[in-house]
Amino acid sequence: MSDLLVQMKGIKKSFGRVQALRGVDFDVKASEIVGLLGDNGAGKSTLIKILVGYHKADEGEIYFEGSKVNFSSPREARQLGIETVYQDLALINLMPLWRNFFLGREMTKKIGPFSCIERRKMRRIVLDALADIGISVRSPDETVAFMSGGERQAVAIARAIYFGAKLLILDEPTAALSVGETRKVLEHIKEAKKRGISVIFITHNIYHVYEVADRLVLLEHGEKIGDYLRKDVTPQYIMDVIAAAAGVK
Amino acid sequence: MRGIALKHKIDWLNFLRIKEFGAVVGIVVFFVIFSFLSNRFATLDNLMNTLTMAAELGIIAIGVSMLMISGEFDLSVGAVFAVAPMVFAIMVNHNFNEYFSLFLSLSIAVGIGVINGLVTLKTGIPSFITTLGMMMFWRGILLAVTGGFPIMLARRIKMLDYLGGRVIGGLRYSAIWFLLLTIVFWFVLERTKYGNWTFATGGNLGAAKALGIPSERVKIMNFVISSILAGFAGLTTFARFKIVDPTLEQELELEAIASAVMGGTLLTGGYGSILGALIGATMISMVRNGLVLAGAPAYWYRAFIGIILIVAAVINARIRKKVAG
Repeated sequence: MSDLLVQMKGIKKSFGRVQALRGVDFDVKASEIVGLLGDNGAGKSTLIKILVGYHKADEGEIYFEGSKVNFSSPREARQLGIETVYQDLALINLMPLWRNFFLGREMTKKIGPFSCIERRKMRRIVLDALADIGISVRSPDETVAFMSGGERQAVAIARAIYFGAKLLILDEPTAALSVGETRKVLEHIKEAKKRGISVIFITHNIYHVYEVADRLVLLEHGEKIGDYLRKDVTPQYIMDVIAAAAGVK
Repeated sequence: MRGIALKHKIDWLNFLRIKEFGAVVGIVVFFVIFSFLSNRFATLDNLMNTLTMAAELGIIAIGVSMLMISGEFDLSVGAVFAVAPMVFAIMVNHNFNEYFSLFLSLSIAVGIGVINGLVTLKTGIPSFITTLGMMMFWRGILLAVTGGFPIMLARRIKMLDYLGGRVIGGLRYSAIWFLLLTIVFWFVLERTKYGNWTFATGGNLGAAKALGIPSERVKIMNFVISSILAGFAGLTTFARFKIVDPTLEQELELEAIASAVMGGTLLTGGYGSILGALIGATMISMVRNGLVLAGAPAYWYRAFIGIILIVAAVINARIRKKVAG
C-alpha cells in the first residue's frame, strides 16, 4: 500500500456548459496537511464535493487508502472516515451541543424492542472529547448558537477526532474569525495531524494556511496550477502565482 | 463569591431550558384564574372533561408539532380529520367489517400524508401551498360525495367505544389515547435517533444533509405522522358523536398550529416539544371551558385564544432567545 491516503486522478466535472474541473490530479498523504488554494470559483469546493460523494465526477478516478471508491453520498464517505466541516453547515444552532456532536452517529441502547439514545453517556463523552483537545464548555446542554466561530470549528474538529476520522476536510475554517480565534483553530488542526489525521484546508487566505500546511495545492479555472511543498515557497510567491493565473485569463 | 453567582445563573438557565416552561406557567395561571371565577371549574369531573375536550385537538397537535419541528407545515389536517371518519362511516354503513374500515380510513390518511410529502419535496414548492391545496381538494370531495349532508352511523359498533366512549365521569377514551400518544411521540422526539434527525432537519437542512441525515425521508415520515394522527383524532370524535359532517371542524388546522406554538414549537422548525403540544391543546380547551363556566358568552372564546396565542408566542420567543439563541 502506498502512503497516499487520497488519490484523485483526472477529475473532470461540468455543470451545464460551465467546466468546473478540467482534469485535476490531487492527492493527500497520511498525516499531511494540504492547503487547497484558489480564487472564488476556482473549483476548490467542487473538487471536495466530488471527493465526499456530494457530486459525481464526469470523468476520473478516486482512491481512498489504496482502493477505488465511488461514494454516492457524504454519509458513505463519513463511514469510511472522511469528515467534512463546511463553513455554515457544521453544526445546528438550535440544538444542544451533545445532540450536535453525535448527530447521525447517536449512541443507542435497546430497551425491549425500542432503541433509545443514551443521553447521559453522550453528554459526558462530549465534555471529555472537547477537554481532550483543550476546549472547555459550560454545559453539554447549551445550544451551539451561543458559541463563537472559533469554538464551533473546534467542536467540529473534536468531533472528527473523536469518531476516528482519517481525513478531515475544512472549508474556510478561519474565514470571519478574529486573530486570536484563528490561532486557536490552527492549533487544533496541528493537534489533529499529531493524531495521524490528514487534513485538507480550503482557503483563499495563504497566510492562515501557510502556518500549518505541509503542502500547498493551487487551483485556478478548474485546473491545478501549482503543487508545492511549503518549505520550497514563500507566501508571496504563492500569491504571485495565483494573481498571475487570474490575470492571464 | 463570583463562583456562587455563576452557579446560580446556570441553574436558572437549566430551568429555562425546559422547552415547555412558558406553557406550564400559562396553564397554571389560567387554572388559578378560572378556579376563582367559578367554583365548578376545579372539580375532578370538570378537569377530566377539559382533558377529553382537549384530546381531539391535541392528538392533531402532536403530529403537527413533529412536522413543524422538521421544518414543514400541514394545513390539510382539518380536512383529513373529516375524511377519515367519513370513509369509515360510509364503509361501515355499507356493512364492511369495522376493523377493515378503520384500517382503510387510516390508510387513506397515510396516503394523503405521503402525497403531501412527495409533492412538497420533489417539486420544491412550500408545504404551506401543497397542504392548502390538499385541504381544499379534500373538503371539496367531502361536499361532493355527501352533497353537503352529514352522515350518521347506521349500526352500533362496539369498537368505537374504545376510541371515544366514556371511561368514567367526563373522561373518555379519547383522552386516554391523547395521553398515550403524547408519551409515545415524546419518546420518539426526545429519546430516539429519529427525533434527533427531526430536530436537525428542521434546524439546518443543509447541515443535516451534509452530516448524512436522510432528511427527505424524515420529512415524509413526519407528513405521514401528522396525517395519520389527524385521521385518528377524527375517528375519536366520530366515536363520540356517531355523526360526521363534511364541514366538520373547518378551522381545526389553525387551532392545531396554535396549540403547537403555545407549547413552544417554533413555526420555522428546529425547536419544539410534544409535551408542549399537550399543554397547548389543554390550555385552549381549558379557556373554552373556563369562559363558559365563568358565564362569559361563548363568542368571546376565539378572541381570547387569539390574544393568548400572540402573548404565548412572544413569551416563548423571549425564553428561547435566552437559552437557544
